[in-house]
Amino acid sequence: MERERESSGGGNRGKGAARKKFKGFQPRRGRFERLGVEFLDWKDVPTLQRLCTGQGKILGRKRSGNTAYFQRLAGAAIKRARFMALLPYVGT
Amino acid sequence: MYPYEGMFLVDPVAHAADPEGVEKSVRSLLEKHGAKVHEFARWDERKLAYEVKGHKRGVYLLAHFEIAGGSIDPLSKECHITEVVLRQLLVRLDRDIPAHLERLAKYYDKMREDAESRRADRDRSSRRERDEIGEDLELPLDLDLEASE
Repeated sequence: MERERESSGGGNRGKGAARKKFKGFQPRRGRFERLGVEFLDWKDVPTLQRLCTGQGKILGRKRSGNTAYFQRLAGAAIKRARFMALLPYVGT
Repeated sequence: MYPYEGMFLVDPVAHAADPEGVEKSVRSLLEKHGAKVHEFARWDERKLAYEVKGHKRGVYLLAHFEIAGGSIDPLSKECHITEVVLRQLLVRLDRDIPAHLERLAKYYDKMREDAESRRADRDRSSRRERDEIGEDLELPLDLDLEASE
């Protein structure tokens, strides 16, 4: 009996604690602006993989959070990596 | 003469049999077309994302060189004829080679930092989750005791 109630209480509290404090409106910036990189390298497979779905499709700006500039660079870099068989055209 | 970055995917079997010979033959191919080679090295050997000419694995050679614009087409045509080279990608750089190499070094430094900080974040959040669960186990017990009294 007691055990059940404990676990349900734990779930609710966890959600409340995870909420972030509102710090005012921030300018929208992508991950790469925050990192301070000026371009994307087409040989950087781990980074480019994070911009693709498991099937190998390029993530849209809504999903990737990229700015227009980096989305263009990402598209070009992924296509080069695909040509060199570093990334799949069609995933499994 | 323009700065170029070139990657050559070469036959892993031929490369395993004679690594130096294969690398030298690709390098001499570049030099034959009048390229001034700045950097030339084996980049990686890995499993390919898809089969290329029946090969599942491949060795990548990476070169940074200067070459006249008109020589790119004959060079890539000759790469197609050469059997060791399975595929090549020649990319014109928007700045000179030392500047590009510096930029690459900076880029990979930042990416490594980012990966490390992300890993640290993940460790910290998983630890916090554990702590919260520990806390929760105690509190409802007290409440239950009061209710029963």
